[in-house]
Amino acid sequence: MTARRLLRAVTGLAMGAGALLTAPFAFAAAPQPGSGYGLPVDVSAEGHRIDWLIGVTNVLTGILFVLMLGWILYAAIGHNEKRHVAAHDHGDSRKSIFLVLGIAGSIFFVVDGNLFFNSTTDLEEVFHNFDKVEKDPATIRVEINAHQWAWDTRSAGPDGKFNTKDDIVSLNDIKIPVDTPVIFEVASTDVLHAFNLPNFRAKVDAVPGQINRFWTQGKTVGEYEIGCAQHCGTNHYKMKGVITVLSKEDYARWAKEASENSARLFDENDKDAHWGWDWKGN
Amino acid sequence: MEQHIHPEPKAFIWKYVFSIDHKVIAKQFLWTGLMFLALGGTLAMMIRWQWAYPKTAVPVVGALFLSHTGGAITPPTYTSIFTMHGLIMIFWAITPILIGAFGNFCIPLMIGARDMAFPKLNMYSYWMFFASSVLVILSFTSQLGAASAGWTTYPPLSTNVGAPGWGQTYMALAIFATGVSTIMGGINYIVTVIRYRAPGMTWFRLPLTIWGMWLTAILNVLFVPVLGSAALLLSLDRLAGTHFFVAGAAVGIQGGDPMLFQHLFWIFGHPEVYILILPVWGIVGDILSFFSRKPAFWYKGSVFAMIAVTVLSAVVYGHHMYQTGMAPLLGLGFEMLTLAISVPAVVLFVNWLNTIWKGSLRLEVPMLFALGMVFVFGAGGLTGLLLGTISTDIYLHDTMYVVGHFHLTMAAASFLGSFSALYFWFPKMYGKQMDQNLGKVHFWGSVVFITLVFGGQLVAGYSGQHRRLFEPYQYTYIRHLAPLNRWTSFAAFALGATQLIFVVNFIKSILMGKKAEQNPWHVSTLEWTHCASPPIYHNFDIVPTVVRGAHEYADPAVKKKFGRDYLDQVEPGLSAVDEDSSAGMPEPEAIGAE
Repeated sequence: MTARRLLRAVTGLAMGAGALLTAPFAFAAAPQPGSGYGLPVDVSAEGHRIDWLIGVTNVLTGILFVLMLGWILYAAIGHNEKRHVAAHDHGDSRKSIFLVLGIAGSIFFVVDGNLFFNSTTDLEEVFHNFDKVEKDPATIRVEINAHQWAWDTRSAGPDGKFNTKDDIVSLNDIKIPVDTPVIFEVASTDVLHAFNLPNFRAKVDAVPGQINRFWTQGKTVGEYEIGCAQHCGTNHYKMKGVITVLSKEDYARWAKEASENSARLFDENDKDAHWGWDWKGN
Repeated sequence: MEQHIHPEPKAFIWKYVFSIDHKVIAKQFLWTGLMFLALGGTLAMMIRWQWAYPKTAVPVVGALFLSHTGGAITPPTYTSIFTMHGLIMIFWAITPILIGAFGNFCIPLMIGARDMAFPKLNMYSYWMFFASSVLVILSFTSQLGAASAGWTTYPPLSTNVGAPGWGQTYMALAIFATGVSTIMGGINYIVTVIRYRAPGMTWFRLPLTIWGMWLTAILNVLFVPVLGSAALLLSLDRLAGTHFFVAGAAVGIQGGDPMLFQHLFWIFGHPEVYILILPVWGIVGDILSFFSRKPAFWYKGSVFAMIAVTVLSAVVYGHHMYQTGMAPLLGLGFEMLTLAISVPAVVLFVNWLNTIWKGSLRLEVPMLFALGMVFVFGAGGLTGLLLGTISTDIYLHDTMYVVGHFHLTMAAASFLGSFSALYFWFPKMYGKQMDQNLGKVHFWGSVVFITLVFGGQLVAGYSGQHRRLFEPYQYTYIRHLAPLNRWTSFAAFALGATQLIFVVNFIKSILMGKKAEQNPWHVSTLEWTHCASPPIYHNFDIVPTVVRGAHEYADPAVKKKFGRDYLDQVEPGLSAVDEDSSAGMPEPEAIGAE
């Protein structure tokens, strides 16, 4: 892990360029327009892992890109027929082959190796580590049912069970408490959708007949956009929603009120409204 | 194996329409492909127009085809436009130009065969492709609009649940039909290369072009049937009421599985991107050597790298599906295999760079396009790393970054590679020279604007813009990308306009181009050294005996003896000439000339 931290410190400098492009997010109620060309502001506790890996890979591939372009341009100009006599070299000497394999091997171990090692570690320790989050008593659970062209959302009420009278239900609107893990279980009724939280570096497909899940954790209070990332028909471009990160106190107050409202409006006979499922969990 | 000589047909219909001559079939594929390239390009311009000036009337095209909305693009029309753009470009533009035209034209000529192994099958392949093209056009005429479920045709959206009407059905059938055509062509290419290489044309004397075409043909024959089965099952879902791919509320009873389609689609779909790039790798590998006047660097390494990519391409398709709820362990396996492709890819790439290094570069039009292909493919390859890795793909998946990446690799690279091939073999195909100055303008416009267009897409996606959005600015957090999108669109319009230069050059050169010499580029492969421009009906009166590989350049001893810097694949070479008093042979220009 220390080697990895060191690498992170070194590349932090290079990341500066990317950070300059990323706009600081002013606290505000409504989703704010971004600015500049770079990753949108990250408001999740763990999204920095993805941003770091993207940043460091950009630096490495950027170097390779410049080398490649320089090589082509130099050869085209410096080794032009006007200036250079071609060398008679089939490139099959031991030295040539070692050179080629050496370059291929180095790129593979450094660039691909870094990606594979860090991605796998991040997934195992964080993004796919549902055990830890499921055990956390503070964890919030949200079910998302996608359909053309909106997101139905549902959280369990005080009874802790899904598909009951006190569920908090809403459309295109999710509220979560800050600094608290949230697990999303996502499905679809009609076609494929993809539940995307760009500011949380989180995304999963919504598939009919299948429950997919991911977890995230907000670190900055505010409102952020939910998008559909998978083409789902004519109004795909309008399939938006808002996810609001509230302070823990605001969230508790809101959840109580929302649950009471839902219970009051509960209609036993409206079967379509009872789309929720028993929490799938691990 | 020596093929016998068929009598040359005299009637117009057998000579130019239902021809069994691979050179005529190549031209048929070329022309059909170029027409669809223009159509697919026009659709691309419409997408870019919508992003630059949302909901305003499209110039010219709008007045012609969208008069019911005053020329503006509506959301349903928009979904049809990007769907048809993708499908047309892949299956009806790049595939016929690259594989149909140059595969057909080059394979027999470059290996020293008189025609394909199965000339009639070759003809059926083209006419099956033609039938599929008719289905594509029919899709546009459908009352509920052309296919609209995206080029990937993911169900349930592509079933009647999401895309009712004949437009999508015609396209499912068209994909099936063009698949049949591709398989017929593929079998022909595979058998021809195995059975009809000229005497002495061993596997490691084959030009790289042939390796690329041959490996592509193998991938086609193995994986296009998988796509065909997916298209057929989808057609049954649409026409016969089956539920292979429908699930959820749309089916009351136990449904099928939409994920099944994705597996079938990508088992084909990932090899497909290599199907479209392997021929280009081969062509560019040869052209870089020819125009650097230097042997292809580590030829065998390039061949093995292409074989390795061909094998690996079959086992990495899962990286298209990381976000579908794939089991983490399975995802990890796919990620490992995907990243492993970078080893042979870099070997190939470094071989190209080493081929031009210390060469004597002739920057003629085919070479410029080949260098441009190396550049865009490099950029596309480097941006692919973040998409092959699961954690970084979580953010980038389904954004414009993906669009920029795959356009650089399989669209821009095969586009530039195809034009490199077209400018290179045009004199052999038509017996005329193309205008080199117009060609250079076409190259610079293409490579600069391609970089701007797909670079702009990479930046937009990196900043969070999803793909396939009718109006991206519905989202607040990417509203500030409107100027970027507009500038990218301007570059796209310029790219489109640049292609008109090619159209003028192409037509002008066919009608009144300067007559081409037999070997205008002074290169070493059989079609230039032993065939007239254009070649006679059966290519070779006497099938030549090959004695060496395709890249014998820059040998100082050859220069001293022959006064030129290359040896063709047939002539005896240094040792024989030493014994022969008639040393200092002229260029073998006259052989088989008209």
